[in-house]
Amino acid sequence: MVDLRVELCGVPFKNPVIAASGTFGFGKEFNEIYDIGVLGGVSTKGLTLEPRLGNPTPRIAEGYGVILNAVGLQNPGVEEFLRDDLPFLREKDTVIIANVAGRTLDDYAAICARLDGLVDMIELNISCPNVKCGGMAFGIRPESVREVTRAAKGALKTTPLIVKLSPNVESIAANAAAAQEGGADCLSLINTLTGMVIDLERRRPLLANNTGGVSGAGIRPIAVRMVFEACNAVTIPVIGMGGITCAEDALEFIMAGAAAVQVGTANFTDTLAMPRIIEGLHAWLDRHNVRSVAELRGTLRLNG
Amino acid sequence: MKELRVTVRENVPVAQNVFRLTFSLPEPVEGLRCGRFVDLSVGDGAHLLRRPIAICAYTADSVTVCYQCKGAGTRRLAACKEGDALTCVLPLGNGFVLREEERRVALVGGGVGVFPMISVLKEYAGSGKTFYSYIGFRTKAAVCGEEAFRAGSERAVLVTDDGSFGEKKNAVEAFFDDLSAAKPDVILSCGPAPMLRALKAGLAERGVRTPCYVSLEERMGCGIGACLVCVCDLENGEHARVCKDGPVFAIGEVKL
Repeated sequence: MVDLRVELCGVPFKNPVIAASGTFGFGKEFNEIYDIGVLGGVSTKGLTLEPRLGNPTPRIAEGYGVILNAVGLQNPGVEEFLRDDLPFLREKDTVIIANVAGRTLDDYAAICARLDGLVDMIELNISCPNVKCGGMAFGIRPESVREVTRAAKGALKTTPLIVKLSPNVESIAANAAAAQEGGADCLSLINTLTGMVIDLERRRPLLANNTGGVSGAGIRPIAVRMVFEACNAVTIPVIGMGGITCAEDALEFIMAGAAAVQVGTANFTDTLAMPRIIEGLHAWLDRHNVRSVAELRGTLRLNG
Repeated sequence: MKELRVTVRENVPVAQNVFRLTFSLPEPVEGLRCGRFVDLSVGDGAHLLRRPIAICAYTADSVTVCYQCKGAGTRRLAACKEGDALTCVLPLGNGFVLREEERRVALVGGGVGVFPMISVLKEYAGSGKTFYSYIGFRTKAAVCGEEAFRAGSERAVLVTDDGSFGEKKNAVEAFFDDLSAAKPDVILSCGPAPMLRALKAGLAERGVRTPCYVSLEERMGCGIGACLVCVCDLENGEHARVCKDGPVFAIGEVKL
């Protein structure tokens, strides 16, 4: 029997497969299809202090092997999450990661303070490309990554802090290092790449927001490269994501140095994607006589 | 609601750019009913999103949907042959439900929105309901489902925008022209957004208080209510999820 358990920042995960923020809501709907307690963790829909309505529709489009989304952080607000959604997640044997966003440093500090001690980990969304003030401004330059991380970390007494990095930057390594300097306990990447799809007949962008975040199988090689670079720039654990659809995809990120992975868009293509990935990890490790998934972490050797 | 691997039984054109696809279910599925939908993969790895398509008909071991071939995804779907495997999440959404006292039912359908209307006729066939159907298409080549509407309705009025089939008018005009004669207890509608807007405006102008339910269409992500991609605006300023809270809404509840 192989061992899929991993530990990040002292938080034990039964396996390294985590639902990525924004594709999984707060887990209730997918739980109608399978018991989400089989998952290593769930990163919630991005939360803000106040409820937000998000962008106009259409909010989604497709490219070849990718999708674009521009939901714009629609969410019920942190108080409704605590009242209506957290109790449900608490009943499930899975790590609860609250994904949070804000407009200002004070917003980030306030929402972190509100959630401190109530969830297992907090994931700082400083890279939502779909709202003007959704944190993207904080996610681009190393100085502001450091600053917003510091503000969030300063508001937390017990809950470990994950900083989710944007790929739409000059140097992922520099931003990763800046997050660690700011006090991040863990990193996650990549958030979506900014893209556009055009409706030729209407001569307009298909998305109401004009641009959207590109995700899905087609972006995976970019994500693997960035996760590799980030892992080499920091000493804190990294959660890898970007286009993971099967166990083998997940293992690329783990070999590149990720301690765990998140799965997002694949949940749209296949509602059972994550349970299948977990089964696939068991099978792959078994087939390769690897006892523990943690042993594979960072085992990548570069050519020449 | 579950995800199944289904097998294409038939996939044939029924009108210009409109296909009827029947797939076999590998196991029984509870909760299939009129106005609900299925979320169907299009059969290749390039398209990561399933396509939400209204149920047109179903049996114990099959479901039939009709779809318009509109972009690359539905073109791929149209290329599927008998025996091809697709993945499908079903059944989804709330669907149309007629109350006991709603005996006279008006159906107002346009374009590919006619298929959920056909699913209502089939669901309530032999139930003692009387149907009045007002069905519009752009042009004669787009007309489909005529037989189902004629067979299932007390009165079926089929019209086209260009007058190439039936009278030259739209479904909403045909409905209002016959409203005083049909005297429906309830109105069900599905069709393009401008049609639904015209229906809502027409009901308001005439002060018609008859309950009216509309089925909405929106680009979807997960299809099961988790991702908040397919929202619509409600009159109370809030958002609703078309896939989970709908696709059927009371017409007064939604901004169209």
